[in-house]
Amino acid sequence: MTETTRTVSLNVPVLARVEGEGALDLSLAGGEIAQLRLRIFEPPRFFEKFLEGRHYDEIPDLVARICGICPVAYQVTAAQALERLYGVELSPWARAMRRAFYCGEWIQSHSLHIHLLAAPDFFGCGSAIELAKIAPDAVRRGLRLQGLGNALMDLFGARSVHPVGVRIGGFHAAPPAAKVRALRERLVAALPEAEALIRWAAAIPLPPDDQDFISVAMRHADRYAIEQGDIAASDGLSIGADAYDAHFAERHAPHSTALYSDYRGRPYLVGPLARLNLNPDRLPERLRALLAEIGFAPPSRNMFHSLLARAAEIWLALDEAARLLAGYRVPDSPWTPVEPRAGVATGCTEAPRGLLWHRYEMDAAGRVVNARIVPPTSQNQARIEEDLRLSLLNFGLDRPDDALRLHCEKVIRNYDPCISCATHFLRLNVARA
Amino acid sequence: MRRVRILGIGSPAGDDQAGWRVVDALRARLGARADVALDKLDRPGAGLLAHLEDATHVVLIDAVSSGAAPGTIRRVDRADWRNHAGGLSSHGFGVFDALALAEALGSLPPALALYGVEIGAAEPGDDLTPAVRAAVDELAARIADSLL
Repeated sequence: MTETTRTVSLNVPVLARVEGEGALDLSLAGGEIAQLRLRIFEPPRFFEKFLEGRHYDEIPDLVARICGICPVAYQVTAAQALERLYGVELSPWARAMRRAFYCGEWIQSHSLHIHLLAAPDFFGCGSAIELAKIAPDAVRRGLRLQGLGNALMDLFGARSVHPVGVRIGGFHAAPPAAKVRALRERLVAALPEAEALIRWAAAIPLPPDDQDFISVAMRHADRYAIEQGDIAASDGLSIGADAYDAHFAERHAPHSTALYSDYRGRPYLVGPLARLNLNPDRLPERLRALLAEIGFAPPSRNMFHSLLARAAEIWLALDEAARLLAGYRVPDSPWTPVEPRAGVATGCTEAPRGLLWHRYEMDAAGRVVNARIVPPTSQNQARIEEDLRLSLLNFGLDRPDDALRLHCEKVIRNYDPCISCATHFLRLNVARA
Repeated sequence: MRRVRILGIGSPAGDDQAGWRVVDALRARLGARADVALDKLDRPGAGLLAHLEDATHVVLIDAVSSGAAPGTIRRVDRADWRNHAGGLSSHGFGVFDALALAEALGSLPPALALYGVEIGAAEPGDDLTPAVRAAVDELAARIADSLL
């Protein structure tokens, strides 16, 4: 019974897209990591089966159920894929509103993650409730921003939980101009709040971290990629959504029901930091100046910059939505009619947590033959394990179990995985032989 | 001046609509009253906090599942939700979590009442079960009386 032979197992009860279970298994032996496995229960696998035989007009509402936090990402990706297959050109109105709608989800999801999930770690707090006691103004500001994101989702989706606005070809309905104007004023008014959030996030002392990883994110010719763009990697890759399969491989691992994804045989990072790393030249000038002023110059190799990257993307999404909604008019028709055809539809967008890729094989009647959905969390799974391994070695394996657990939690939460469950999501059971 | 806000919390799934239906019933009973605002919320998560602002009295009605007989009405005390604030997850941020966070922020209204209606089935698309329908009427009557 010595320190070097102890077995540490960390359990992560998962509240993923639907109920499920996940765990982190960590075994230390001989002063080294004998085993480190992140196990994720990944319900979208079931959704792919549910989708078979469904008509194309049902898909946006079905895939919205995959995630309660990022339903827009699933809806917009599916719609984009099918619209491409059906050769339908969205009206300029619908194109702009899709992006504005998506901005709402970024604002909502990022605000929630920063304030309720990630930030407590950096202030020595066990929960957002504890953080609220020592930093009430910051938490209130975060909740206001989150509420604004929800309001933007609600504007186009009729509700922020599993919104129902998107249809193939556009939207089911256009919000009234007065409502849009009122919300736009709130978005503009919130920009100083988002700037204050960026400054607050930048002032948080971060653990030293310097990792060599590949960033994968979308890039667009002239703007920050959200709902449109090609897939790029930090090694220079640039491909369309239809070529994803040729470069990214999904593989099963017996310990996880989520698939792992590799790029050229290596783990890779998706998400806000990957996006910023690949797109610093696509940031609006004001945001670029602000980031330069606080001394944040992506690309960054410090994974803990993910929180700051989220804060920067909140500012960007507020600014972008306000721009898109300026001069808003109710269109003659919020959608363009579509004509189904048989073929393979692929699409990708940047979900709050990173690249989301869909592939649908459709029949001539507009029904799904088969579907594949690759969510960001499964793509990040291998990267999280790699990060945990590096971080634990840097942190020191001889630390007490509680300290190891906390550090693992902090590292995992940083990715905002869709196992973003409790602030205390690692249960530590120590078994000593 | 007293500003009462009554919030029914739920989702469109069977008995989980209980909170919404209490609000519907109260709207019918109370008519338009300047001092009472009625709202139906769909799984608001942390968004609940915004609805607690600017009110002197807040009444929350939500479905609960504690193993009691469906239709049982329970007034939930502050001690209950203080002890049961869960993991603060983004996916499962419940009413208790929101109230605990509001308390930490000093954002609780001066008076708060939380009613739980024990529910049976919560299948999407289903209507209320008879026991819960009866409980909805009873609770609406009780809340309306308390506002007289």
